[in-house]
Amino acid sequence: MVAVDPLVPEARPRLPRTGFWSGAGRVVLRKPSRIFGLAVIVFFALMAIVGPFLYPKNLPIDPNAIYAPPSLAHPLGTDFEGTDVLALIVTGARYVLYSAAVAAVVTVVVGTGVGLLAGYYRGIRDSALMRVTDLFLTVPGFPLLIVLSTIWNFGAAPAMGLVLGLTGWGGLARAVRSQTLSLRERGFLEAARGLGLSTPHIVIKQILPNVAPYVAMNLLLSVTGAIYAEVGLFFLGVVPFKANNWGVMLNLAVFSGGAITSQNALIYLLSPLVAILLLTLGIVLFLDAMDELFNPRLREG
Amino acid sequence: MATAETGVQAASPGTGEAAVRVRDLTVVYATARGELPAVAHVDLDLPAGQITGIVGESGSGKSTLALALLNAVQRPGRILSGSVQVAGVGDVVTLGRRALRQARGGKIGYVFQASQSSLNPLKTVGKQLLDLGRSHDVADLRQLIREAKGLAEEMGLDPVRALGSYQHQLSGGMRQRVGIIFALVLNAHVLVLDEPTTALDMLSQALVLGIVRRVHRERGLTTVIITHDIGVVAELADRLAVMYAGRIVEEGRTEEVLASPLHPYTAGLIAAIPRIVGDPNRSRPLSGRPPDLTTVPPRGCPFRERCPVAMDVCEVEDPALVEVPGGRRVACHARGRGVAVR
Amino acid sequence: MGLVKTFPGRGGLLGHEPVRALRGVDFSIPAGGAVSFIGESGCGKTTLGKILTGLESYDGGTLAIDGQDVRRLPAGRRRAAFRRIQMVHQDPYAALNPTRTVAQTLSDPLRMRARELSRDQSWIDGRSEDLLRMVGLDPGFVLPRYPHMLSGGQRQRLVIARALTVDPDMLVADEAVSMIDVSLRLGILGLLRELRRELGIALLFITHDVATARYIGQDGDLYVIYRGRVVEHGPTDVVIERPVHPYTQCLLSAIPVMRGLEDAGPERVMPVSDEMAEETPCLFAPRCPFATERCRTEVPPLSHSGGTPQEHACFYPVPRRVVPVDRPVTQVGAGPRG
Repeated sequence: MVAVDPLVPEARPRLPRTGFWSGAGRVVLRKPSRIFGLAVIVFFALMAIVGPFLYPKNLPIDPNAIYAPPSLAHPLGTDFEGTDVLALIVTGARYVLYSAAVAAVVTVVVGTGVGLLAGYYRGIRDSALMRVTDLFLTVPGFPLLIVLSTIWNFGAAPAMGLVLGLTGWGGLARAVRSQTLSLRERGFLEAARGLGLSTPHIVIKQILPNVAPYVAMNLLLSVTGAIYAEVGLFFLGVVPFKANNWGVMLNLAVFSGGAITSQNALIYLLSPLVAILLLTLGIVLFLDAMDELFNPRLREG
Repeated sequence: MATAETGVQAASPGTGEAAVRVRDLTVVYATARGELPAVAHVDLDLPAGQITGIVGESGSGKSTLALALLNAVQRPGRILSGSVQVAGVGDVVTLGRRALRQARGGKIGYVFQASQSSLNPLKTVGKQLLDLGRSHDVADLRQLIREAKGLAEEMGLDPVRALGSYQHQLSGGMRQRVGIIFALVLNAHVLVLDEPTTALDMLSQALVLGIVRRVHRERGLTTVIITHDIGVVAELADRLAVMYAGRIVEEGRTEEVLASPLHPYTAGLIAAIPRIVGDPNRSRPLSGRPPDLTTVPPRGCPFRERCPVAMDVCEVEDPALVEVPGGRRVACHARGRGVAVR
Repeated sequence: MGLVKTFPGRGGLLGHEPVRALRGVDFSIPAGGAVSFIGESGCGKTTLGKILTGLESYDGGTLAIDGQDVRRLPAGRRRAAFRRIQMVHQDPYAALNPTRTVAQTLSDPLRMRARELSRDQSWIDGRSEDLLRMVGLDPGFVLPRYPHMLSGGQRQRLVIARALTVDPDMLVADEAVSMIDVSLRLGILGLLRELRRELGIALLFITHDVATARYIGQDGDLYVIYRGRVVEHGPTDVVIERPVHPYTQCLLSAIPVMRGLEDAGPERVMPVSDEMAEETPCLFAPRCPFATERCRTEVPPLSHSGGTPQEHACFYPVPRRVVPVDRPVTQVGAGPRG
């Protein structure tokens, strides 16, 4: 007879709620700041998707209302051409968020993939991957973007995102690698290897979920990083303006509108800045849910 | 949750002078389900000059009790009620912060778990001794170092080397001995050791326990050893107190408790230890598992679900710790009703 | 079929110079047998377990599983050979992936097994439940849960169930109960004994606690290891009752006496120092109370010298009675035990 660990009914805790999405819902609802953060992110995402459809392709110009103050018709006033600033913010969101999302996905996919493989295989493959990573880490991203912008047209958001992503994955790769290395010595990975489980299974099903909170955090942070980088490029005016976006607005407000010296363009200047700050705030507030989201213990707890 | 009124006077234990007298001590922890007691209505005397072993499994409240002896329970825990009278100090539960700091180390020495290091990895042992002396306003720091060196020698350490070492240069057994130096260098007369040999090897364990015994004798200390492993204190302790679910369920002289346990939990615990002599198959596992803060039943005896002699009364009434002939105490309904515990 | 064996060889490890985890360890584990390795941390016993499960390589000697030198096997068959030896880890918390439910933990290896045996999903489900019942867990209760919802004892049972998914011939249990509550340990040890008896799974029990080793493998062999070398080896009870190597004697003397139930062994031996000192030919000489000049100039070979029933590596084999002596139970009210 095998001794049974008796499970007295009272010792049974509540039935586990193991569904990821119901758990995720609880995690978000646990703190008001997370609800706010998620709401902000969703709000801007919707703005990026739907926004451009709400306005005509070429926003109307009104020479009679240049730098008009806020009013019912123009809640955020108008710009140097008399175009509604709110409309500029809404239509400009798509380029900013689209390219930032592409950048974040590229960063995470490349960084996580390289980090996992290097950490799991160790040895020569690890060294080779890490030398490549170091190369990308040492290339200064911002100047490279300026150089690239002279030969490459960044009118398309994905192209911008791709470049930002490809120059930004090095740090994540290093971090994921070191986490993988330390996980590798944990009992459950030794057991998985001892059981003869396949390498793809071990890397994807066993290791990846354990580095997921870290990866998700980096995903969100690289979104903000990418936004800053591209808005910076446009603000500096080193990439040609092909489409309306927040960076272009900043540039025009400062260099064409003289917002630094004149009161007129102040709201025009502040609007994209506040949009960026608000989105960043939303992301930062939502960030603290990541640990609990991907750790079953914290998720159900 | 309160000790049920059974008409039997809760025993005032032990004879002779008690160096530490714990009365009706309750320590609670704030959890999602409100404040739950980790230590519930504990009465315990630590007789002067004796070694008392407090034995309990995870969640028994033994470590919380040890911290409460110094009024050092950390949030989210707090001492809800009761007193801890320490000879020459007073009730540490009501002591002010400054007096408390003087008492810790000065009167009561505490040695942390062997598995965790309480030393600063960036400073030598000697430097940290000086820090300790300064924080206790010791006038003669030279004398303090001499004292520490004396202790080191007493414990078989090279005094110069021990004081000049960093934490990482010391083996597990040596760290424990350094811990004892810190606990005793200010002439504490009560020594509290929390899991002193967890994570130590057999030989280091025997050595550390031997040193505890020697220092205890030579300095006339009152010593408390907190452990999950009855074996650690089976040879060393004069008295044993067995804890379960925050309560002391049995207390008495070590030989008597081990040879004829009165509480079914004690009996089960002893029987569950594989022995080095005799037929190994006489060891029997204890069914069920120890409760934690949240799974202690709100009513009745907390052990009843694992108990081979549980009765109806155990469902509703938490047995009080009562004195039985021979200076022992036990908290079991079966004992009072003539049911053999094993 | 079912035979797991490592043939005598000259094992020797390990890679980077200063740490010599194993210095030529010879042992064999018969199919269905029980062997215990006793030693302190750093003696190399954990390395040994890892080598046996293929997690660590070795750089000298031979390891044969089922009579076949694993180094000579092609990679695929070598993996298969190592898979027949499964590890039960010391820490049941680290040994389970916190992001996988119990059902997933078991079905991962079972799916692989099902492919090999051409079985379907229902076989996987049935096998999961059978294995959980075999280790004393309630499938309905544990299957949907994550490891953090289980107690230490339950986790260790799950670790054992997971090891059984690949139908091993041998389990390596490295300090398998040291992190489990005292009252639950015997349940786990009993389970391991049961698996050996009912499934014929050989056990290699690695521990510093001689009493648990004796509970698991009283009918098997005991190896006492000191700094990567076997210093004494023989039938478990012979080594415990009449140890001849001073290190074994010190280890056994260190077992605390259960006062009131036992009396101290009459010839207890204590080491003269607790420091891992310089390497002498007999590695234990610096701590040995009986060491002579010869121990510092000459390596004592493992032999039966002095006509002892067990093998030992000491020039002066003197059996000593060091373990506690059972005291007959005379207490009133304490009924017959056993």
